[in-house]
Amino acid sequence: MKLGKKELIMLYTNLLRARRADERIVKALQEGKVVSFYHSGQGSEAVGVGACSFLRNDDYLYPHHRGHGLAYILPKGASMKAHMAEHFGRATGMAGGVAGFHGVDPEHGIFGGGGTIGSQFPVSAGWGLGAKKNNRGQVVLCCFGDGSSNRGTLHEAMNLAAVWKLPIVWICENNLYAQFMPIKDAYPREDIADLAHGYNMPGVVVDGQDVIAVHEAVSAAVERARNGAGPSLIECKTYRYRSHSEGSADIAHAEPRPAEEIEAWKKRDPIKLFQEHLLKEGILTTADVERIEKEVMAEVDEAEKFALESPRPDPSILPKLLYQE
Amino acid sequence: MRQIPYVMAINEAFAEEMARNDKIFIIGEDVQAGTFRATTGLVKRFGPDRVMDTPLSETVVAGAALGASMCGYHPVADFMFADFMWCAADEIFLKTAKWHFIHGGKVQVPIVLFGNIGGGARVGPEHSQCPESVVWHTPGLKLVVPSCAGDAKGLLKTALRDPNPVVYFYHKRLLGLPGDVPDGEYTIPFGVADVKKEGKDVTVIATSYMVQHALAVAKELEGKISVEVVDPRTLEPFDIDTIVKSVQKTGRVVIADEDTKRCGVTGEIAMQIMEKAFDSLDAPIQRVAAANLPIAGGYMEQYVLPGPKDILAAIEAVAKK
Ligand SMILES: Cc1ncc(C[n+]2csc(CCOP(=O)(O)OP(=O)(O)O)c2C)c(N)n1
Ligand SMILES: [Mg+2]
Repeated sequence: MKLGKKELIMLYTNLLRARRADERIVKALQEGKVVSFYHSGQGSEAVGVGACSFLRNDDYLYPHHRGHGLAYILPKGASMKAHMAEHFGRATGMAGGVAGFHGVDPEHGIFGGGGTIGSQFPVSAGWGLGAKKNNRGQVVLCCFGDGSSNRGTLHEAMNLAAVWKLPIVWICENNLYAQFMPIKDAYPREDIADLAHGYNMPGVVVDGQDVIAVHEAVSAAVERARNGAGPSLIECKTYRYRSHSEGSADIAHAEPRPAEEIEAWKKRDPIKLFQEHLLKEGILTTADVERIEKEVMAEVDEAEKFALESPRPDPSILPKLLYQE
Repeated sequence: MRQIPYVMAINEAFAEEMARNDKIFIIGEDVQAGTFRATTGLVKRFGPDRVMDTPLSETVVAGAALGASMCGYHPVADFMFADFMWCAADEIFLKTAKWHFIHGGKVQVPIVLFGNIGGGARVGPEHSQCPESVVWHTPGLKLVVPSCAGDAKGLLKTALRDPNPVVYFYHKRLLGLPGDVPDGEYTIPFGVADVKKEGKDVTVIATSYMVQHALAVAKELEGKISVEVVDPRTLEPFDIDTIVKSVQKTGRVVIADEDTKRCGVTGEIAMQIMEKAFDSLDAPIQRVAAANLPIAGGYMEQYVLPGPKDILAAIEAVAKK
């Protein structure tokens, strides 16, 4: 799909929404307002935004856990307010304040997530099976990190999806690290996309800092899946700016991550790159940039205010949540 | 005596035993850094061949530990959060626990399965469990649940000398808690409960972090109810004799454990007391454990997990009867 001015500005706005919301949660955590932990997604927003901004509402999405899904779920239609409220432990949160950090929004095809890395693969195969049986052209986006690709669950799910031609796009957010583990010490090849050959599906590597490149690769794979041609794997090369989780050391194995590496990646910031591109092409003016910044900050302020003013859940709901009536 | 934090005591035990036995090595995700600092710094001293960062692959961490143990090594498989052992359920529960037995005792599988347990971080049901009952339920796995720094060190040293698979669960909320740790060499045998505080009215049997709660409550009740706190320290093997002795003295029992109540540690201990000391009981046994629910995250965690208030209420209830 060739993007017009409106779509390009939407992509830019989504990038900024994910970034500013993430920054606000980090700040709120430092202020003691966030009740659980947080894994910032700053630096890799183009992956989720490029992949999820033009999906159908009834497509299924398993977001990657960076930003606890922000860059994926906001473009998919989920509410920033509800994401923030969940992190603040409020009844208006995505999971009613019971999870603390899980994003769930079935009305937008987001069925939730797990705490164990690698658990996204098998359940996504199940969504792919559901989508195939539904026969309405739905697709599944299963998003994961470089580290997640080390789990054996990947093999079982990708194999099944390939032989059953399930409509799944596997999207790897390769940020070079899994907690403190550099990918080069956890995987013997350069590209995780190479795994695709073992399952006879397309495997594509894209620049994860380039939101358009991500969008184009994912769109092609989504079309393929919608048309019944089966799964694809897309690897997005990217980076995370902050440490693995807030408060954890910023290290590789037991040594600090190289400062030059962090600096080099920050020079290729996905928002900066895209903004420069849009300004150069005359799609945005500096006045537009300022206006969008203001609008996004207003949304973030509003979301935080909403979260802070929302009540905590009533604990009497807990036993009622165990089984469906 | 010297006081050091619980997690430093664990770290010391690793260092001492690794120096003593070059067959010991640690494998798992981020063990060189040490997510909870239990293994931090060991790579400097023992090198990356003995403190091995693995890919994010719990199944092969458990499987490789099992395999290497059969070749004459003594691996420590670190699962970071004990919850993640579930990703390697086949290797742990169907293989590691059973292979010595099912192969006629012809192979040895000396492994320490190391995991961090417990709530308190409000991070939801997949990072907060105390999955003791599932392990205890499984014949073939020893199970260590230390409640203080001194026990943490002495019991880990014993685990690293045991020719069997030992599951070692250390609690999040105890990591920074300082405790007495003797200078120099010592070990603590498995299957020997410790009376953490003597008392004569009520016996509280508590595990892991619950021991610290029980001691605090016992202190609060001083002058009103005299509470004896007994810590089994290892669940398998289990020292029922020390517990029976305490029950014979007090006649009143509270059992506190952070795992889920149903089919949990507390129920097993209660039944063993029934079998061995029914005639000594003056009141029905009270159990303090997690609600039969997944551990909610955020502010809801506290409504699922047991705390000092629950121990206090249970003690008052049995003391009245
Ligand atoms: C089964 C399991 N093992 C370990 C962890 C702890 N953990 C959480 S995120 C993470 C790193 C994941 O790396 P990657 O998939 O590359 O995603 P990234 O965090 O780098 O975005 C680890 C080890 C976990 N949550 N689940
Ligand atoms: Mg990664």
